[in-house]
Amino acid sequence: MLQIEGLTVAYGGIEAVRGVSLDVAEGELVTIVGNNGAGKTTTLMAISGVAPIRSGRIVIDGAETTRLAPHAIVARGVAHCPEGRLVFGRLTVHENLRLGAYQRRDGAGVRQDIDRIYALFPRLLERRTQLAGTLSGGEQQMLAIGRALMSRPRLLMLDEPSLGLAPLIVQRIFSVIRQLHAEGVTILLVEQNAHLALTVADRAYVLETGEVRLAGRAKELIDNPEVRKAYLSQ
Amino acid sequence: MFTPTYVVQQIINGVNLGSMYALIAIGLTIVYGLLRLINFAHGDLMMLGAYLGLLLLSATFTPLLLTLLIPMLVIGFVGVLVERVAYRPLRGAPEVTMLITSLAVSSIIENTMVMSVTAQPRAFTLPPGVNQLHTVAGVSFSTLDMLTVGLSVTLMIALTLYIRTSRTGIAMRAAAENLRAARLMGIDINHVVMVAFFLGSALAAVAGWLWAAKYSTVEPFMGFLPGLKAFVAAVIGGIGVIPGAMLGGYLLGFAEIFFVGFLPPAFSGYRDAFVFALLLIILLIRPNGILGVSTDERA
Repeated sequence: MLQIEGLTVAYGGIEAVRGVSLDVAEGELVTIVGNNGAGKTTTLMAISGVAPIRSGRIVIDGAETTRLAPHAIVARGVAHCPEGRLVFGRLTVHENLRLGAYQRRDGAGVRQDIDRIYALFPRLLERRTQLAGTLSGGEQQMLAIGRALMSRPRLLMLDEPSLGLAPLIVQRIFSVIRQLHAEGVTILLVEQNAHLALTVADRAYVLETGEVRLAGRAKELIDNPEVRKAYLSQ
Repeated sequence: MFTPTYVVQQIINGVNLGSMYALIAIGLTIVYGLLRLINFAHGDLMMLGAYLGLLLLSATFTPLLLTLLIPMLVIGFVGVLVERVAYRPLRGAPEVTMLITSLAVSSIIENTMVMSVTAQPRAFTLPPGVNQLHTVAGVSFSTLDMLTVGLSVTLMIALTLYIRTSRTGIAMRAAAENLRAARLMGIDINHVVMVAFFLGSALAAVAGWLWAAKYSTVEPFMGFLPGLKAFVAAVIGGIGVIPGAMLGGYLLGFAEIFFVGFLPPAFSGYRDAFVFALLLIILLIRPNGILGVSTDERA
């Protein structure tokens, strides 16, 4: 579904990502873990076409997307739920969801999917006419995920969905991630909470200062002494 | 001296002038909201609209409404063209670079007009009847005044509905709030920017026509001062916020008329100084404008 080969991204002279290669197969839940500044977010931004790629190749469904504009990448079925949620605070909850379906032309399907999101997150239904800026952090995260799902993505990228949220809400968000995975949605998950991410993922990549340090089955990485020491503080 | 009739008369004048400021300010604010570009060439599109209107009016067979509609369409596309040629190559450049470029565009348009139609002001002659004065209970207004207010309000309501409910309108508000997040939603920013320039320039063309009609004259530099004042209006209302531009436009129109109408005539020469003083005062109290959002919110 997604293949990245030798991706290097540089802001000015600083390489945030150096020669990263990774792949995600159809239906898989793959996670990228690593510390702050390891290049996780930059990798997702590069896939979405909003980071300055210096070299490397990104292939989605067999077609190269490396130099495509962001809207063309969305058209290939990629949805990006960004770090910090970035919901549109001056738009209502409902408008945010409509925007998630910006490229879709099937009005009936869109309305049906909005109802599906409301069923998934009943809190959003209660607040549908409220401005997104007035929501709590957890509600905003639900909205951001819902908004990303509105494009009916073939690949859903989630960046730090647990960041700054209370444990109960994190549980709720991750149970939704599990559910989506069970429904067959392909997911690329970036998390600082490595333990949580490795518990739900099929496979994982560990990023360190812009490079892939380790890769493998999530279940094996979770028992890897190096990972335990550096990322699971055990 | 300030009889009720006189006050009502001043209010009518204020609405009139405010409508035009509001129409111009909308285009400035939409474009600023999306690109952080202070478009100094905006007033010049207004001027082009007035000239094209005059050209169509001189062809006696053109219906009055078409002399307004055609400039709207044509100047709308001129705005799109200016963005494509002058501003798009600078996307992502520092704000100062874009600002200087817009000054250059303004200068090019103005001087092209000077070369092709001379700097000489020309009479903007309306068909008979449009300047017809009506007097109701001692308050007088012309058919043109009714056209100005009616058309402006109609266009602003239409624009508001479009921005609030249409797919592109929602995308435009989203992009103004957070460009990067909007791109991640699959919004083609170039498309949104194009629509913004079209709408803003079309409204400026209408304002140019109405302005020229009110003062019965056109000249290549007529867009400068209204453009600058409309920018003040947009800032007062909260730049980047469309209802703010409308509010700011009317506020400025009223302030200017009331200043001239209610203070001793000796002060009336200072009306422009007053406008800019008002800007300073409002920004001291509300640095982001009346309906503005603080820049911290904009991630």
